[in-house]
Amino acid sequence: MPDDNRGKHSGHAPGEEYPNYRSHYRPRTRDGRIAVLLFVALFALTQPPFVHGVANRIAPWVLGVPFLYAYLLVLYFALIAVLIWAKRRGV
Amino acid sequence: MDVWLVATGGICAYLIVTVALGVIANRRLAPNLEDFLLYGRKTGFVILYFTVVATYHSAFAFLGSGGFFYTHGIGFWVAGSWTVLVGAITYVLGSRIWALGKRFDYFTPADMLADFYESEAVRVVVAVVSVGFTILYIQVQARGLGYILSVASGERISFELGTLILMVVAAGYLIAGGLRAVYWTDVLQGAWMYVAVWAGSLVLTYKLFGGPLALWQRVAVERPDLLTVPGPEGYFTPGMWFGLMVVFSFGIIIQPHILIRYYTAVSAQTIKWLGATTPIFLMTLYIPAALVGLGGALVMPNIEIADRIFPEMLFNYAPAWLTGIILAGATAAAMSTLDSILHSNMTVLTRDVYQRYVVPHATPAHYILVGRVIVLGLLIVGYLLSVRTFEFLVVLVALSGAGALQLMPAILGVCFPTRHLFTRTGVLAGIGVGLATLYLTLVVIPHPLSLHGGVWSGSQTSSSRSACHAVHSRQRLRQCGVFTANWSGSSTATTAPPRSSLNYNSSHRKSALARRVKASLHRRRDCSNRIT
Repeated sequence: MPDDNRGKHSGHAPGEEYPNYRSHYRPRTRDGRIAVLLFVALFALTQPPFVHGVANRIAPWVLGVPFLYAYLLVLYFALIAVLIWAKRRGV
Repeated sequence: MDVWLVATGGICAYLIVTVALGVIANRRLAPNLEDFLLYGRKTGFVILYFTVVATYHSAFAFLGSGGFFYTHGIGFWVAGSWTVLVGAITYVLGSRIWALGKRFDYFTPADMLADFYESEAVRVVVAVVSVGFTILYIQVQARGLGYILSVASGERISFELGTLILMVVAAGYLIAGGLRAVYWTDVLQGAWMYVAVWAGSLVLTYKLFGGPLALWQRVAVERPDLLTVPGPEGYFTPGMWFGLMVVFSFGIIIQPHILIRYYTAVSAQTIKWLGATTPIFLMTLYIPAALVGLGGALVMPNIEIADRIFPEMLFNYAPAWLTGIILAGATAAAMSTLDSILHSNMTVLTRDVYQRYVVPHATPAHYILVGRVIVLGLLIVGYLLSVRTFEFLVVLVALSGAGALQLMPAILGVCFPTRHLFTRTGVLAGIGVGLATLYLTLVVIPHPLSLHGGVWSGSQTSSSRSACHAVHSRQRLRQCGVFTANWSGSSTATTAPPRSSLNYNSSHRKSALARRVKASLHRRRDCSNRIT
């Protein structure tokens, strides 16, 4: 039986299929997809250009704290909340 | 009572407690290598939590972060993003590393990579990178310890003697109790460090400014340049922000003294809880550091070495008892990292070098003895590196932060195997090209285009591996063609050939082990449940 899938499944011998391959980077469940999307979106907000653009200001003050500091603090706690939520949902 | 007496007394009290913990750990030690090197792979959540956070935060977090806020302002708050990312990486990567370690009895990163890529060359290179770059941290932490004890005693204890005393204590409890002693002392050190930083910064802030909110108001009036990025000296550019985030998250996690900790967990669930909650400790430790650094910029604006801002403020404005507690906390921060690095280097040298190549079939007691001797050797090397100045060390220390980052693509290739697995040539080439790029972008032309050198080297490592994979794919296709022609002409063409007859090498030697690992990862939950 010649191997028709040579090059596709490079980790295997000829003729040996790797059935139902799915990337390990892709979340398998709905909760997993939500957690990944939320984390990536919130994390992107902690990076340039957001930090060096719209968030890079002192005013308005948030509960007596300069805006950039408060903005990042809120995002960091939101990211931690996503991780805890993911764990509680069994992702 | 004099400040120096209280400060030195606080450090001595702390040292006595750590030595006592080492003695108790020694009595609990089981006579097998897994217990000595990996805590028997049964570490629960609380101990693992404190040891990971205490190991992650070194003397730099305690002293250096305040100095960064002092010099560059709020830009150092990027630290929050890399600590959160550390949690996420632990969550997704740590649990897989744990599963593989449990399934295949791995002790070190080199164990895992050499096994998966089926290459002794990979083992040697990874072991050299692991030890070579982390041994420099021994020097960094030891110098921090010597400095702290020297400052605390009002220079009555010399830097050299202070370094020696604290290194001997750290090596002593590691030799006595193995990883168990390191973990137990890390619990003490982590808690002490956290309380000390918060207590010190709040006392200073209330005493000097009337509270954190008043401090923020004064900074906005007197030094508004500290409250935006890129900061007064233009350090925190977008490229530097992103680069530091990558280097201090992936770069630290991949280092052996952190990665080995994942092997020691009792279950995958422990690792996931660890990932979800460690950022709380790691990130919130930078809140008081910001208060110290920004407050220091107002009250002591002309300090010569920014990293000394915290101890200088304590000596000038805090009561003696508090200064003692906090400097003991700084000692704890440095020692918790130092003992972990000593342990990881001992593990790599014992497991990947001695057991593999020198004496493969000895008793566990023999390997434990060898491990203890190795710690003594590391102690001597670390001390000599700390008290003497070598020109080449300055360069190596600059490289060390991102050195372990070069292993990241190979580790991702194991934990998240794709259709096209990396080849061992690709792994070796990637590490080589990555290290060369790191040297170029950190030493020759520092941070080109304002992007941290670690990011340049990391991207080169990945692309080199991909390039090698492409080359091997072509070779493999040609080999496949030859093989298919030969095989089709044989009398057994209707049945699958035995594996041994395949004219495959390079990427196709992947192997029973690779497939087992893949299958193991696909059934990760089942695997975890069965094992636990």
